[in-house]
Amino acid sequence: MTTAPTGYRATLRSEWIKLRTVRSTYATLAVAVIIGVGVGLLDVSSIAGHWDTMNATDKAAFDPVGDSLSGFQFGELALGALGVLAVSTEYATGMIRTTLAATPRRGALYAAKVLTAGLFALAVSQVFVFGAFFIGQAVLSGKHLDVGLAEPNVLRAVSMAGFYLAVVTMVGFGLGAIIRHTAGAMAAMFALVFLTYPAARALEGFSYLPDHLVLPNAVDVLATTHAPTGPHAARVPSLGFAYFDLALYLVVFLGLGAWRATRDA
Amino acid sequence: MTRQTTIEVPGETTIEARGLTKRFGPTVAVDALTFQVRSGRVTGFLGPNGAGKSTTLRMILGMDTPTGGQALVGGRAYRDLADPLRTVGSLLDPAALHPGRRARDHLGWLAASNSLPARRVGEVLEQTGLSGVAGKRVGGFSLGMKQRLGIAAALLGDPRIVLLDEPVNGLDPEGVLWIRTLMTSLAAHGRTVLVSSHLMSEMELTADHLIVIGRGRLIADMSMPDLIASHAPADVLVRTPHPALLADVLRGRGGIVRGEPDGALAVTGLTSEAISQLAAAHGADVHELTTRRASLEQAYMNLTESAVEYRASRATTTAPASASASTTTPEGPRR
Repeated sequence: MTTAPTGYRATLRSEWIKLRTVRSTYATLAVAVIIGVGVGLLDVSSIAGHWDTMNATDKAAFDPVGDSLSGFQFGELALGALGVLAVSTEYATGMIRTTLAATPRRGALYAAKVLTAGLFALAVSQVFVFGAFFIGQAVLSGKHLDVGLAEPNVLRAVSMAGFYLAVVTMVGFGLGAIIRHTAGAMAAMFALVFLTYPAARALEGFSYLPDHLVLPNAVDVLATTHAPTGPHAARVPSLGFAYFDLALYLVVFLGLGAWRATRDA
Repeated sequence: MTRQTTIEVPGETTIEARGLTKRFGPTVAVDALTFQVRSGRVTGFLGPNGAGKSTTLRMILGMDTPTGGQALVGGRAYRDLADPLRTVGSLLDPAALHPGRRARDHLGWLAASNSLPARRVGEVLEQTGLSGVAGKRVGGFSLGMKQRLGIAAALLGDPRIVLLDEPVNGLDPEGVLWIRTLMTSLAAHGRTVLVSSHLMSEMELTADHLIVIGRGRLIADMSMPDLIASHAPADVLVRTPHPALLADVLRGRGGIVRGEPDGALAVTGLTSEAISQLAAAHGADVHELTTRRASLEQAYMNLTESAVEYRASRATTTAPASASASTTTPEGPRR
């Protein structure tokens, strides 16, 4: 009874056109670049400028990769917003009905949306982090503090920063699919990225597990060349656990989004 | 209308509801609805607010899952159609688009989703008179322009079945005439047109066949002339200086005579020829003799009112419904 379904590549192409024909895509990317690269640049410029007078502890905490990418602590919110908007506007405007008339199989539609937004987010994130890395190293080279990609952990730290940003984008996407309202999904995304950290700290008396599960701590090991030292060291997960965190967030939020998106719109 | 060829045998069933039912909790929105929509004509889909029209259309388009029964388009469930826009073009809600996207891009992603050639975008923009605003963001469009864009989207896949919900909403008189011409032309080329509207005068000009539902059930499925004739019979207006005399004569021959406020007689059950002959035979002068055709609006009001009355009286088991004679559910023509 079922004939050849709507071509999968056609659905992907359609979703790609959707993504690149709204201004919000460019606006969120512009904000991510300005904040991500800009704040990172300020950070490394400040370190390079004060290096000679810095104390030993601060010098030990310096991470040539992590500091050049520090702007994405805030820039990630713009990418999360990009993810939210990629889905929530379809529901908020009612456009989803037009989409479903063209692509009635919801599972295939959702998968195409995830792939399009995910690959796009990954590509732009990698461009951003490598761009920020090279700009940062150029500034640090004045004090001979720069590192090259061939040095231990550097390539891993830079590329995982890009993966992390793509994961935040897709967590936003999942929240958009679950909540379907732009403002609500934005608030939830913001809370997840920023407010889970103090919440987990409050539970430290019982367990460090919540600390190990929150995104800001995971990125502290993923996107740096050496793990943090001092009291913060107990909070961050191992590198392996941090990889698990990324996978967990993707599965949970995209999974819940899939469950919701395949129900009646 | 550059690409229209006769592609189908007129009269073929292209949309079919079989015992279609939708419940929302305890509410039955659509109740065992069975009907067929045929190609080569414009079928009007009518019913009071809340009758279940939109729910039915959504089930036909695979957006709502029926609680029972099924809806088929071109012999298949909508969700099983490969590239559905090539078979069915639909317009449910003209506002169902992203306001920040340009008209050309809106049609662009739709065309890509069903592997339609990109030139179709330019063609339907031309056909709907939107070429001049193709590069404008649709958030700034008037309701009429959004309506045209929605129709452009419906025509994109050059479909043999077109399903339009309230297509003349927000259109100016020129736009109304345009959509009327478009629908009759699509039907004349063998396509199926199913259109819902609240504007009875507009329907009367456009539709060949009508499906009327009330409270989720089928009330009527018949041709436009049959529906008007059976639910709002034509009458003859007679103006005479001898109304009492003539009224007695006409009643004696089986006519039903009502007095109009201005003293004229409204006669049903007799033709104007018969009335003219009777008046002459009894020496009554006739100053005016006019056959008045009933409107679809009258027929529709009679039909839906009596349906509501019928249900209300049945539910409360009071006196038999006075209008029950007109509440039978006529069968559509079978072939």
